[in-house]
Amino acid sequence: MSLIKLRGLEKTYQQGKIAVPALRGIDLEIESGEFTTIFGPSGSGKTTLLNMIGCLDKSTAGEIIFDEHSINDLNNKELAEVRRYNLGFIFQSYNLIPVLTAFENVEFAIRLIEKHSKKERRDRVMSLLEEVGLGEMANRRPNELSGGQKQRVAIARALIKEPKLVLADEPTANLDSETSQEVLELMKEMNRESNTTFIFSTHDPQVMDYARRLIEIKDGKITNDQRRD
Amino acid sequence: MFFLKMAIKNLSRHKRRTVITALIIAFAILIYILTEGLMIGMTEMSFDNIINLESGHLQVANQDYWDDRRELPLRDLIRPSAAVESELKQTEGFVDLTKRLNFSVNLNNGIDELPVTGVGIEPGQDSQVFELEQHLVEGRMPEADSSEIIMGAKLAELMDFSLGDFAIMLIRTEEKTFNTIDGEIVGLFNTPHPSLNESNIFSSLSTAQQRLNVEDKISHYVLRLEDQDQAVNAAASLTGRLEGELNAYSWRDAAESLVTMLEMQEIETQVILAIILTMAAVGIVNTVILSALERMEEIGMMKALGMHQREIVYTFMGEAAGIGIIGGVMGIIMGSLGLWIFNLNGIDMSALTGGGDINYGFPLSGTIYAGWEISSFIFVFVYGVFVSILASIFPALWAARKDPVKAIYHR
Ligand SMILES: Nc1ncnc2c1ncn2[C@@H]1O[C@H](COP(=O)(O)OP(=O)(O)OP(=O)(O)O)[C@@H](O)[C@H]1O
Ligand SMILES: [Mg+2]
Repeated sequence: MSLIKLRGLEKTYQQGKIAVPALRGIDLEIESGEFTTIFGPSGSGKTTLLNMIGCLDKSTAGEIIFDEHSINDLNNKELAEVRRYNLGFIFQSYNLIPVLTAFENVEFAIRLIEKHSKKERRDRVMSLLEEVGLGEMANRRPNELSGGQKQRVAIARALIKEPKLVLADEPTANLDSETSQEVLELMKEMNRESNTTFIFSTHDPQVMDYARRLIEIKDGKITNDQRRD
Repeated sequence: MFFLKMAIKNLSRHKRRTVITALIIAFAILIYILTEGLMIGMTEMSFDNIINLESGHLQVANQDYWDDRRELPLRDLIRPSAAVESELKQTEGFVDLTKRLNFSVNLNNGIDELPVTGVGIEPGQDSQVFELEQHLVEGRMPEADSSEIIMGAKLAELMDFSLGDFAIMLIRTEEKTFNTIDGEIVGLFNTPHPSLNESNIFSSLSTAQQRLNVEDKISHYVLRLEDQDQAVNAAASLTGRLEGELNAYSWRDAAESLVTMLEMQEIETQVILAIILTMAAVGIVNTVILSALERMEEIGMMKALGMHQREIVYTFMGEAAGIGIIGGVMGIIMGSLGLWIFNLNGIDMSALTGGGDINYGFPLSGTIYAGWEISSFIFVFVYGVFVSILASIFPALWAARKDPVKAIYHR
């Protein structure tokens, strides 16, 4: 059973009077538990595609089915609900809240789904921070962490809600190659352990290598889709 | 709870900006507290002057007389009686009473003539109710049954009188025939009630009654009570008990024009407050917009995580409330300090008006001190916080409505 189904997905940006086609007919199915990368040259539509899958933006044509439900007709508030309970995001520039500690940045996300007691919340945040190797740094603020450590906090923040799907748009673009590999290693480990579906985009061949499914896009179209084990 | 914590942390991001915005609010509150304090001070002093020098706590007069009292008529006077007086003494909080007769006088010094108000008083007894005697700057009070008079030192100077001179007081009896009192000036006073200094002459009640040909009639009784706050209720209950056309009037009734003026002043103060706080609100709007702009990526992240618009607005509102509270506390501290400094010396009204004893509507002169009320402190604090929160709503909504994609990639 597929977690995501895209049928004939198109997205055209309107720039003044000029129409800029970013996606031109994407058909794609992603299974639960996959660890997938979307790669392609700059301007090929990776970010646009991830935003569509992430329920952040609306398509111009075509259909998106998330977990058996079409999200085409949802309004902004309903889309926010879908994101709140099902999705985790990892951003290229981390987007941590600078005045909160690592612990609080992670705790912040789990507060959005009100199903845990305070103690449960603390325990879960702490154990996840330990899993991403930041147990010792829970009380540090983002500016006291390295880029790789920040991205680890962001990974913990994305995973704390136990989402069905985690989307990461160029999560390693701001990191050196060694740190990039550590971060990817961590993401892959999380994928194995919790069976959370990951989709990430990248330019970096070394980073791509970690994926078990590689989808290449060019000019808003899928040109290659291969699985490996 | 979480929004509160978040708001406090957010406030610490740009401490200087927070403090400056809070200072604008504090400044608005400071101005309000000082204006209001001055108003309260002037009000209290004005009422004190009216009570102690003009109206006492309660006045009892014929209803028709009261309506025309400013014309100083000799119609509708009352004849004192033991029955009425014993009724008056039953008043709750009663301390003492005295009788007065007001009449119109043309004061003549042989060259000029000036219309003034004559007041017949019971020497001795009058000082149990009024404080006129304490404000004598020269001489003494007139004696009973004599033709001695006292007047304001200012008035005497104006008419070229000095202590011991005789002033010709032209009066008209009830039958409209002219008569005079050759008043010997035995005292000069200078009270904090400007109009009293300028236009009142006091003589013995019995002499006034005789020259005015009104037998033993008086225009009104004046009562002193233990506390000025008892007067309004006492007036109502006394009016109920008194027979015929006799009515009791509190110092508030007597000072109705002042009360109206003070109400107008109060509105003015509120308008001033509204204007300055609107300026403070602009500061809040500005701060919220700046904060939102620099936190766009965070807002984008929050929206991506599925945070509701409402929740994002709350964080900004919490922040604005924080600024309001900081500004409120600073404003109250600054205001209290301001009042304290102000009251070290008070403010000399005559200095403000260039040395002259100008009557600008308030029955007070000399040095003014500010008063304060805890309720107006609370009011201005709550109002400041409320305005801050209100001002933050629109810019916060603007930020929270941003498209998540645009917010995330905001550069
Ligand atoms: N908001 C927008 N308005 C107009 N055109 C846009 C907008 N966002 C993206 N585009 C255009 O859509 C196309 C796809 O952009 P997208 O950002 O998805 O590419 P990308 O593969 O993520 O590129 P990169 O590797 O540089 O991040 C590009 O031609 C881009 O210029
Ligand atoms: Mg991109």
